[in-house]
Amino acid sequence: MDYILNFERLDKSSLPSVGGKNASLGEMIKAGIRVPPGFAVTTDSYLSFIEETGIKDKIFDILSNMPPDDVESLNRASAEIQELINKAPLSDEIKTAIEEGYSRLCEKCSVEILPVAVRSSATAEDLPTASFAGQQDTYLWVEGEEKIINNVHKCWASLFTPRAIDYRNKNNFPHEKVLISVGVQKMVNSRTAGVMFTINPTNGDPSKVVIEGSWGLGETVVSGSVNPDKFVVDKVVMETSEKTISAKHIKCVYDPEKGGVKDIDVEEDVQSICCLGDQEVKELVKIAKDIEKHYGRAMDIEWAIDKDFSFPESVFIVQARPETVWSQRRKGSVIGKKTGYQLLMEQAMKRIKIPG
Amino acid sequence: MAEEKAGRFPDPHEFQVPPELEGWEEMYPSHYLFSKERGEWESNQFWYQDKIHAPEPMPPLDLIFQEAWQISLSQYTTRVFCIPPAQGIAQRMVGPYMYICAIAPPPDEVIGEKAQLFEKRVFYVFEHYNELWDKWLTKFKALGEEMAAIEIPKELPKFVPEDQVLPAPKGYYVSYDILEAFNKLVDQMFKGWQYHFEMLNLTYLAYLMFGDVTRKLFPGISESSIGKMVAGAYVSMFRPEEELCRLSRLASSLPGIGDIIKSDASAEQKIEELKKTTEGMKWIEELDKAKDPWFYVSCGSGWFNYEGSWINKLDIPFSYIKSYIERLEKGETIERSLDEVDKERDKTVAKYRELIKTHDDRKAFNDAYNTVRTIYRYAEDHLFWVEHWFHTIWFDKIRGLGRLLVDNRMLNEVDDIFMFNRYEIPELLTELSTSWALGVDIPVRGDYYKAKVDKRKKILKAASEWNPIPALGVPPEEVAEPFTIMLWGVTTDKVKEWLKGMGEVSAEDISEIKGFASSAGVVEGAARVLKLLKEIVDLKEGEIMVCPTTNPSWAPVFTKIKAAVTDIGGLTSHAGIVCMEYGVPSVTGTGIATSVIKTGDTVKVDGETGVVTIVKRAG
Repeated sequence: MDYILNFERLDKSSLPSVGGKNASLGEMIKAGIRVPPGFAVTTDSYLSFIEETGIKDKIFDILSNMPPDDVESLNRASAEIQELINKAPLSDEIKTAIEEGYSRLCEKCSVEILPVAVRSSATAEDLPTASFAGQQDTYLWVEGEEKIINNVHKCWASLFTPRAIDYRNKNNFPHEKVLISVGVQKMVNSRTAGVMFTINPTNGDPSKVVIEGSWGLGETVVSGSVNPDKFVVDKVVMETSEKTISAKHIKCVYDPEKGGVKDIDVEEDVQSICCLGDQEVKELVKIAKDIEKHYGRAMDIEWAIDKDFSFPESVFIVQARPETVWSQRRKGSVIGKKTGYQLLMEQAMKRIKIPG
Repeated sequence: MAEEKAGRFPDPHEFQVPPELEGWEEMYPSHYLFSKERGEWESNQFWYQDKIHAPEPMPPLDLIFQEAWQISLSQYTTRVFCIPPAQGIAQRMVGPYMYICAIAPPPDEVIGEKAQLFEKRVFYVFEHYNELWDKWLTKFKALGEEMAAIEIPKELPKFVPEDQVLPAPKGYYVSYDILEAFNKLVDQMFKGWQYHFEMLNLTYLAYLMFGDVTRKLFPGISESSIGKMVAGAYVSMFRPEEELCRLSRLASSLPGIGDIIKSDASAEQKIEELKKTTEGMKWIEELDKAKDPWFYVSCGSGWFNYEGSWINKLDIPFSYIKSYIERLEKGETIERSLDEVDKERDKTVAKYRELIKTHDDRKAFNDAYNTVRTIYRYAEDHLFWVEHWFHTIWFDKIRGLGRLLVDNRMLNEVDDIFMFNRYEIPELLTELSTSWALGVDIPVRGDYYKAKVDKRKKILKAASEWNPIPALGVPPEEVAEPFTIMLWGVTTDKVKEWLKGMGEVSAEDISEIKGFASSAGVVEGAARVLKLLKEIVDLKEGEIMVCPTTNPSWAPVFTKIKAAVTDIGGLTSHAGIVCMEYGVPSVTGTGIATSVIKTGDTVKVDGETGVVTIVKRAG
């Protein structure tokens, strides 16, 4: 049994043991996409944790005895389970595995104490048919093995927040079928970061890559706390059909004192500077197309530009998950079964409205 | 529409042109004027200035092309191929500017009748396009050759030559020949324009259809991407330039020839010089082969007599050849690889196709694409043969008559003949014939005609300094006429923009203008405003060209400039296609670029969003 697995060893078949996010990172590495290095703490680690500490049965008892559609009992159940998990200690085997994984990662990046992101990766998350995104926790800029282990522990507990429990109940996902893995990944020293879609989320146009980015870490873009710069680029002719530069008033950065991240103000004269160079936009579009091609479907991608590297080595993909909204909506045919002549006849009958 | 009073333009019957244009009405046929009898109908239509065909004040004789297309374009839509809800395009003159109007759809029962005819007639054309094109080209070339064969009398002889009288009298003589020549020219021009639209309406309809299908599949796709998928590489309009490339290669491979062509002498002098050597003769032979028909390309759009064509402005093609030879010497490639252009297009189509998710949609896309590709060549090929080759022959013949009138003291300059409309010229020619027939020392009214020419030239000059109102009358609720949408790009946004421009905004206050994003890329640089091709000598390497319109006869310019901005050019305007072919960023169809931008201004051209920004005014 593997307690941890390097991202390089993962692909989409690894989903049961490392969850959606981590499997997807491994899959991208296989496809030649630049992803910050890291490893997954497997679902086996989690399973052995709840089994060996004897809390597994207690957890599922609480859940099965919980009356549905009652907020108070939901909150109570969640609190009880989280306390069970928090109080149970991690075994030495798991700890050692994580410590070894981390020290190998530090070595690889030639950094003594490498800041990493610790993210939960559930087995039912990010499935094409259900967006579980944001249901579990993410911890940024974590330094040192002790803190990493702590956060892995917290991620496990986050599988049972009231929201996560409620979501599974509502969507009829059996609780015991959903397992959790945790990704430990090199933190990108992000100058600019954001998200991109391989379909235009505003109109479902599959010929566009839409990029949104802002200064610092990508959390401001993901959470919507800043108006990002926006680029709409055609995948085929590579023309930028839309480029909106916004005043990006805050950015998310690492705070050494706090030992985590915080939002700070952006100097006024920098706010309205475009956060991406033309080359970087082009590279992101290229990567977006590669990712979409690899998965054979529209994707929702998180990216970051690392200030410690020079272009193009600076462009990293942090996350990729299937796009769910338009992929559902545009499943059927848009034009229908029509011949060229039928289409021509339709056109000939058309009148174009010009409202006065 | 009715509830919003601000949303209308002045009534065409109430609109007043500036007083300097007084007397303009007599330049044009009376059915081109707004009239009381048709007043109610006219006031309820929407008339907008036709900046595609008549961007400049209209010399009276050049109106013949407009007259011809009003009939021809409209009849194909209304009576021949019967595009169901569409009617024709009417024309009127407001001062020396032409305004046009896409007429509202006919009653429903007529639409129904037309739909049946459309199905039968139009689909046949698509199925048989290739053979129909061959037939078209054969008959059109025959017509042009017929026109070229018309003999314009060089002089009015003192006595009819012997061979026209003996052994048997010819029966009709130069007095009749003059009249017949002009009548024939007019007839053939009208016939040529009947041919012009034979398949063009359908071509545009097919393009609009394909555009619509692609926009449904890719809601944000740009016009230039659609254009890129449809445009062909091997089209007649690019042949003139290919011929120049060929002649340039030949010149640099023959010893001593390149140097003669690179010299500062005039084209005539160079030809004389070349004739002195065997190599030179060899080159001249090739030049002569290329000339007909490929030098019968207008230096402008082909719509105005003063634009000239390569064949009668040889200095222009020679200057292009010179710059090509220089580039060859630097080891550069001058030819565009047409195979490459073709391949590039097929790749683009394939990549978009790959993005389509369902089988049905992919099939519909393929079908729509094949339909438009079947016929689209027509849009690109007819242009050379009609507006360039045919018009060049016409201008040449008309100038022959002009010369005759000058020689007989009825006009001061050859080109003054263009100051009379086609109904007036028979009067001049008849007066000339009459005076010759009457005998010796018979006076003609030279001063009368010369005074008219002077007055008209003044009106046209005053008109060129007047910025005509964009539109008159009531904006329509809907447009179904394919040319209106395709060529003039009349859309909701356009009409709104025009209404906005109704206020008194002076050119200096405008810092941003919008047009079609017809060729991708963003650049900033110094503007060079060129109203006519002959001003091209002023153009410097790396400038941004701002001009009324462009066409492939300007092709060699595109290797010199950073970007192009034009006043005129709709979705598949010639300028748009050419810029794309040459990979030069461009914004076309701005409507006002040449009047707003001044040479030396720093401008930013965004060929991706269609916005031209005036960054800094010159001086």
